[in-house]
Amino acid sequence: MFITDIRKEFYDFVVNQRVALLVSSDIDALCACKILQALFHCDQVQYTLVPVTGWQDLGTAFLEHKEQFRYFVLINCGANVDLLETLQPEEDSIFFICDTHRPVDVVNVYNDTQVKLMIKQDDDLGVPSYDDIFRDEEEEGGDDSGNESDGGSEPSGKRRRYDEVCYAAAMVIFELAWVLTKDTKDMLWWAIIGLTDQWVHDKITHMKYVTDIATLQRHVSRHNHRNEDEDNSLSIDCMRISFEYDLRLALYQHWSLFESICNSSYTSCNFKLWSMHGQKKLQEFLADMGLPLKQVKQKFNSMDMSVKENLREVIEESSNKYGMKDIRIQTFGVHFGFKNRFLASDVVHAAAALLESTEKDESPGDNFIKALDCLSRSNLERLHGGIDLAKKKLMAIQQTVASCICTNLILSQGPFLYCYLLEGTPDVKLFSKPMALTLLCKYLLKAFVRSTRNKRCKLLPLIIAAPMDVEKRTVIVLGIPPESETSDKKNFFGRAFEKAAESTSSRTLHDHFDTSIIELKMEDRTKFLDALITLLS
Amino acid sequence: MFCEKAIEIIRELHRMGDGQLPAFNEDGIRQVLEEMKALYEQNQSDVNEAKSEGKSELIPTIKFRHCCLLRNQRCVTAYLYDRLLRIRALRWEYGSVLPTNIRFHMCAEELEWFNQYKKSLATFMRSLGGEEGLDITQDMKPPKSLYIEVRCLKDHGEFEIDDGTIILLKKNSQHFLPRWKCEQLIRQGVLEHIMS
Repeated sequence: MFITDIRKEFYDFVVNQRVALLVSSDIDALCACKILQALFHCDQVQYTLVPVTGWQDLGTAFLEHKEQFRYFVLINCGANVDLLETLQPEEDSIFFICDTHRPVDVVNVYNDTQVKLMIKQDDDLGVPSYDDIFRDEEEEGGDDSGNESDGGSEPSGKRRRYDEVCYAAAMVIFELAWVLTKDTKDMLWWAIIGLTDQWVHDKITHMKYVTDIATLQRHVSRHNHRNEDEDNSLSIDCMRISFEYDLRLALYQHWSLFESICNSSYTSCNFKLWSMHGQKKLQEFLADMGLPLKQVKQKFNSMDMSVKENLREVIEESSNKYGMKDIRIQTFGVHFGFKNRFLASDVVHAAAALLESTEKDESPGDNFIKALDCLSRSNLERLHGGIDLAKKKLMAIQQTVASCICTNLILSQGPFLYCYLLEGTPDVKLFSKPMALTLLCKYLLKAFVRSTRNKRCKLLPLIIAAPMDVEKRTVIVLGIPPESETSDKKNFFGRAFEKAAESTSSRTLHDHFDTSIIELKMEDRTKFLDALITLLS
Repeated sequence: MFCEKAIEIIRELHRMGDGQLPAFNEDGIRQVLEEMKALYEQNQSDVNEAKSEGKSELIPTIKFRHCCLLRNQRCVTAYLYDRLLRIRALRWEYGSVLPTNIRFHMCAEELEWFNQYKKSLATFMRSLGGEEGLDITQDMKPPKSLYIEVRCLKDHGEFEIDDGTIILLKKNSQHFLPRWKCEQLIRQGVLEHIMS
């Protein structure tokens, strides 16, 4: 069932109990977790935090803790599959789920006792009535629980997919904090990072992003106004969050402007920086702005003040001439102490790089802890380490995209585009991780759409496969919807992958919470692909 | 040269800083005591000789040996006392049951002293705070909160807290638990206190 009053139906329930927190491995989940932990510390709610990377992990964690805990809070996991069927819990276990994965499994919606969904609903999207859905099944002898339809087919009249608007988990939990009037600037900053994570990894539409920014902006103003009336301003060490209409250049304040332009997908795709022609255009662009190469290639903080002064406006003006109308984006920045300024996207990139770090001897649990730590202001070293890793990751993505485009590695298979990263590709280890691979995939599709002349291909979705575990001979496969201005980010590949795997008896593992990402045995790749082609044609 | 062994045992103790307790240097103490015995006997005979035969040229030697004896005595008592201070600190650090490796480092008398100290401390603690007494070895620094956040550094299995509930301590899991239950495990290195 959906929780309507998050304070009464969730917080008041758990505040005198011990809770198990099962948190998925993405930045939004980490942020939501930090906010919830802070609230629990306030009210001395004893909890145990367990990171989970997929359904198997979730199952194991549940089994290990089901004797000791009655209340489970699941963050960014659990909503899109019939949870009770998967976990087989006792009658008295209660699950509070705050998940951004869509669509929500209808069985979860209709369970009144054990599954409580902390998901904000919009008023105009009505919940299909119980009878509508379940009666349909009996009449039509349907096999699935009516939660999704395949590929691109229209949902049947009464049986609707349940995908409502998707607020970041961190924002939902922040709202809880606000309702309890226990919200702090730190929590607000984490909510901002959670939202930015959704935007960086392309999980929400631009409209939604802008709307949510406006919501958060109201909170930011409220926090900032608390101190404006006083004669004495705040100490420089206090945390200040500010609204910024800043450049869409990843990590530019912690890098050189030049590197940032080369490695940000927006600019790189617009200039087509994988080609000589594109490189020349970039030089022209810089010349047009009157920015000397020497300045632009230095560390941002070392650039002359005269150059930095109106940088954003100067870049915006020139970008308009070069066809980049949206070089600036609404976001927030944080500022504490003299040296420490970060944009929300900087933190997202850093935390994502730490979370999916492929250094040796680091288990996913270790990485989770490191990423969680970097979100605290007292762990700046960790954050800077994350920024360095993020730079390497962005450069690797840029180089891989360039090589894929230049060597025509993206092939049209009919109903979709397909790209396979060979084992020897440089940095291919980075792409065995879902978030990094997703970024690569989206960037690749954008670049491909810009570089191809085939009009039909521009409207196709992209499936990418990369080696996951060399010893076990598995590949990670993920699919993204086609590139379009009005894309609503809905991804149908989950179902498609399931069906293709079934029909060819391929050995697949559908472990990720995001159903459009699976693991597949290398040998089964060809027949799986063939089945997909047939399925989606 | 005289008193060198005494200095050696002190140096050895001094080298082990940070309140660590090295093994009791039975051998060293014995040698020092033997040296003291030898000096004392020599002095005895010399004093008798000086008295009976009036040999006043023996007096400086007697004085010198006496100084050596005093020095040795001072060194040995310093050694023993410093060890006692360290052993006392162990009670506050480890609780009333010492790890076996530390107990091996203590001589029988020191163990006896430790037991007596424990008893004194326990009696004192029982006398505070009304009927139940007060465990003053908890919370050496004033705690900021009743509960603390801890992170599990290694798999420790199940752990029971006061109200009977069991927590599974698995590597990389984080927990928010009552402070007093965690202190032991933090000292043992199983849990790490997270301050955000």
